[in-house]
Amino acid sequence: MSVLPEAALKYVGVESEEEIAIDPVERGQVRRHAQAIGDEDPIYWAPCEANKRYGGPVAQPFFPIHMFRRAYGTEDPVEANASDPDYDGALKARGGLPEIEPLTHMPVMNGGSEIEFFRLAKHGETVKLKARYASITEKETSKGPIILIVSETDYLTGDGELLARQRHTRIRKPVKK
Amino acid sequence: MSIDIGKQLYFEDVTVGMDIPSLTKGPMTTPHIMRWSATMENWHKIHYDTPFAVNHDKLPGVLLNGSFKQQWLAQVLKDWVGVNGWVWKLNYQFRAMNLVGEKLTIWGKVTGVRRAPDYGLVDLDIGIVNQEGKESTPGKATVAVPYRGGKPVPYPFVPPKL
Repeated sequence: MSVLPEAALKYVGVESEEEIAIDPVERGQVRRHAQAIGDEDPIYWAPCEANKRYGGPVAQPFFPIHMFRRAYGTEDPVEANASDPDYDGALKARGGLPEIEPLTHMPVMNGGSEIEFFRLAKHGETVKLKARYASITEKETSKGPIILIVSETDYLTGDGELLARQRHTRIRKPVKK
Repeated sequence: MSIDIGKQLYFEDVTVGMDIPSLTKGPMTTPHIMRWSATMENWHKIHYDTPFAVNHDKLPGVLLNGSFKQQWLAQVLKDWVGVNGWVWKLNYQFRAMNLVGEKLTIWGKVTGVRRAPDYGLVDLDIGIVNQEGKESTPGKATVAVPYRGGKPVPYPFVPPKL
C-alpha cells in the first residue's frame, strides 16, 4: 500500500518567490562555520595572497545554503511547538518553498545532493535563492517505504551572479508505531 | 597522507586510480554535533536529544548531520586542488548513519581525466568511511585543475564546453 498521499503530488513544480537571506555574509558567522567543520583555511579569515583571486575573504562553498534563517517578526517554530511531544525541531520547508502539508507528520532526513559551485560568496555580500519542487516519489527499501522529495535551488549574489546550483533530496519516512 | 594547504595541484600530476590525500575527523562527539547545529540554527532533535532520537524516531542514537558531513567532501577536494583549481560538482547520498564516537575518513579516488581547452577536469569517486570501513556517504565529484605552466582555472568558474 502506498504511503505517499495523492495530495502531496500537487506540490511538484511549485516554485518559491525569490528569497533574500536575512543577513549578508558575516565575518563572524564564517568563522563559526569554519571552526565547526574544522577547516580554518586562511581564505576565510581576512585578505591574503590565497584569496586575492576571489576578491578578498570568502565564505565556505556550502555557506550560502545555510544563510536562510528565520526573519524578525515571523513565527518562532520552537515556541509554537513547545507543547507538542512529536515536534522534532527540524527545519521544515527549504528555500522559500511551502511545507508539504500531507507529509509533515513523517520524520525527515537529509538524503543527499547534487551541487555545482561557480563562485564563493564574499564577506559582506547578500545572497538570494530561487527554488522549486522537482519531484516527489515513493521508494521501497529494505527497511520499508520512504518518500523522496527533490528540490532544485539556485543560490545567487544580490547582483544575480550564480554561486551554486543544488538538487537536494529530503527523505520522509513513516514511523512504525 | 596529510594535506598541504597552499600546495598547487596540476593536471599533469593526476593519474586515474590514484587516491587523493584523505581527511580524518573525530572521534565525533556531541559537542561537535551541537556546535554545528548551533552554527546553522538547526534544532532537529535527532542531533542532540537521545530519548527523542531513539524512542520517537526509532534511531540508534543521535546522528551526525548530513549537512555537517557534506562540508568535509568539499573541504578534502578544495585542499587537494589548491587555490588555482576549483571544486565544480559534488553528488553524494547519505546512505548510512554516523553516530557519536565514530572516527571518519573522507576519501577520494580518481576515476577519469579529461582535457578542456584552458584546464583539465578530474572525475572522482568520493565518500566517508568510519573506523570499521563502513561507507556512509558515497558519491562522485568533478574538479578543475590548471595545466602546469598554464593559467589558473577561471574564476568565477565557467563550465567547459566539451
